[in-house]
Amino acid sequence: MPVSDISYRKRFLTKDNVYLPHLVIIEKIIDETPDTRTFHFNFKDKGLREEFPFKSGQFGEYSIFGIGEAPFCISSSPTRYDRLEFTVRRVGSLTNALHRLSVGAEIGFRGPYGNGFPLDLLEDKNLVFVAGGIGLAPLRSLIWNVIDNRDKYKNIDIIYGARSPADLCFKYDLKNWDKDKSINMVTTVDKGDKTWKGRVGFVPQVLEEVAPSADSAVAIACGPSIMIRFTFPVLAKLGFTPEQMITTLEKRMKCGIGKCGRCNIGNLYVCRDGPVFTYAQIKDFISDEY
Amino acid sequence: MNQKISKKDISKLLDELGKEFKVFSPSRESGVTTFAEWDGRDSSFLEWYRNTVISPKAQLQPLYEKMFSFHKDKEGYHLELPPPTDKKLIFGIRPCDAKALTIIDKTFQDTYQDPYYLDKRKNTLLVGLGCTNPYDSCFCTSLGLSPTQSSDVDLMLTDIGDEFLIEAVTDRGMKLIKKTSYLKEVTKTDEAKAEEARRQASSKVTRRLDTKDLAKRLLSSFDDQDFWEKVSNKCISCGICTLLCPTCYCFDISDELVKKEGSRFRSGDSCAFPVYTKMPMENPRLEKWRRVRQKVCHKYEFYPMSFEVIACSGCGRCIRLCPVNWDITQILASLPVKVKA
Ligand SMILES: Cc1cc2nc3c(=O)[nH]c(=O)nc-3n(C[C@H](O)[C@H](O)[C@H](O)COP(=O)(O)OP(=O)(O)OC[C@H]3O[C@@H](n4cnc5c(N)ncnc54)[C@H](O)[C@@H]3O)c2cc1C
Ligand code: SF4
Ligand code: SF4
Ligand code: FES
Repeated sequence: MPVSDISYRKRFLTKDNVYLPHLVIIEKIIDETPDTRTFHFNFKDKGLREEFPFKSGQFGEYSIFGIGEAPFCISSSPTRYDRLEFTVRRVGSLTNALHRLSVGAEIGFRGPYGNGFPLDLLEDKNLVFVAGGIGLAPLRSLIWNVIDNRDKYKNIDIIYGARSPADLCFKYDLKNWDKDKSINMVTTVDKGDKTWKGRVGFVPQVLEEVAPSADSAVAIACGPSIMIRFTFPVLAKLGFTPEQMITTLEKRMKCGIGKCGRCNIGNLYVCRDGPVFTYAQIKDFISDEY
Repeated sequence: MNQKISKKDISKLLDELGKEFKVFSPSRESGVTTFAEWDGRDSSFLEWYRNTVISPKAQLQPLYEKMFSFHKDKEGYHLELPPPTDKKLIFGIRPCDAKALTIIDKTFQDTYQDPYYLDKRKNTLLVGLGCTNPYDSCFCTSLGLSPTQSSDVDLMLTDIGDEFLIEAVTDRGMKLIKKTSYLKEVTKTDEAKAEEARRQASSKVTRRLDTKDLAKRLLSSFDDQDFWEKVSNKCISCGICTLLCPTCYCFDISDELVKKEGSRFRSGDSCAFPVYTKMPMENPRLEKWRRVRQKVCHKYEFYPMSFEVIACSGCGRCIRLCPVNWDITQILASLPVKVKA
């Protein structure tokens, strides 16, 4: 899925310079878990919002001036025009600095980059979403996208898990999807606590128990690489072919546009050719360095 | 029609060119050979210059480069791009180093235009100087290049004794010749001398790299961990072979902040360093053999897959300058899996 057509994005460049970020303002901050926050943002030049096109699964390079830049996916859906969101887990220097921001802060944003999810492949299909932890961030954009075009898709299963009840992201969305009769929402945690009444078990395990049919289905899995490694075999057991399994890959990135070199897996760049790949594509990778 | 110039007129020529361009020529800076701005000193480089440690690629993609600066006031942040690039002329670039630029152009032009590199590239004239005294680490001829001829420069000079023969390779080069003083018409004898100089130079490049089916051979050796461990054993991951390679272009992006004034800059980076791919939780190329494999395969397997050209011009720096004598030609000659014809 190469993203060779960037004409839509060219219009959106600042001074014709792809590395020059747009200024965006943090409008709202939501505590998702003890280490994860969602930031609602908008362009400082509000008119830009109208020109800003993105697809579910694409990412941006966000920066705090003086600290640095890092890639995060856009966790809101393009179908919700009033929303631009990204969700950050605190792991290092920039992510910690982002967590220290308050509403009104001005940061840099460039994007959208990457291929995004192949919506045309999902149409008229039963969809199985499998997510772990912060892996729900890119999937959430897609899930809302699908819900907002509900009649284009058939059954929807969502299997989402986190380490503990406190580590579940987007609890407000989980509630919504749980209430939605047209969705089979399954939430699980690795380890419960006193108040947890839901399922306990690792995501791949729970997926095997829920056992969604592979018939005319596509599974989209996002989460820690260890979860993905255990999820693919389960899906295979359920009858999913490599073409029916989709995931996103994560590599260290700097430029986000296939120039700085570091995010390659063999001849591919995750920033340019991904981050969304089918398992069929991944199996054909020259290298196992992901 | 070709022209020629007397060697003793080179200083005057560079002075003249200096009026229109920022001229860069081979120079020794604190003991390291590099291309530095011509300041009218003298043209003694013509005697010692074989090839520089720091390739002229550094004029187009510097090891450190400011991308933009920023400052904050009560209205918020203001970003400012660096001033547009000067018109530059690189005098004396070797065919291998000129080819290297043509190779990395592909990356900087791919999908998104890289404004910093491409602006400089567009505004830089290349005056090539044939290489008559190659090192034993050079293997440009194995990559289809000639040490004395190049289609990657604007003008090409060949040493014919007391003079250089000058060929215009591009229209830009032709235009430059037309307005340059100190040039003379060449004779048949001059042409013959140049031909002989070219022939001799090519025969002095004796190191060979067999590029036939190289990408395929690498592909079939890719999973041979024992082989990669063996050939990476002595490497100390210093990064020299990549940071000084004219076809390596990887970079890092960082911020710098002093009081409220700051800048974002990019700097040379190397796949030889473990931090290059380090993520908070994992590192796909923590092991040295994976990094060495990446370097080799990127040049001779992945780059040709993407851009139909090997990302190496045989300049030999990675052999010459490696502190532990790691030798790419030896390694590629010893690939374990041979592809049957
Ligand atoms: C396409 C893509 C989408 C992502 N989406 C999200 C998301 O939605 N939410 C989220 O919390 N995280 C996401 N990540 C991971 C996130 O980019 C890293 O956690 C973040 O870069 C760490 O930065 P740091 O400065 O806090 O960490 P440090 O360890 O201090 O890292 C320093 C630098 O290393 C680079 N880096 C380090 N780790 C990573 C990594 N895992 N991926 C890429 N670059 C890295 C960054 O350029 C960063 O500036 C995504 C990564 C990719 C590649
Ligand atoms: S120059 Fe030599 S020692 Fe240094 S990284 Fe390259 S191969 Fe290894
Ligand atoms: S790989 Fe070695 S020989 Fe080839 S261009 Fe780079 S430094 Fe020169
Ligand atoms: S992030 Fe620079 S090449 Fe992918």
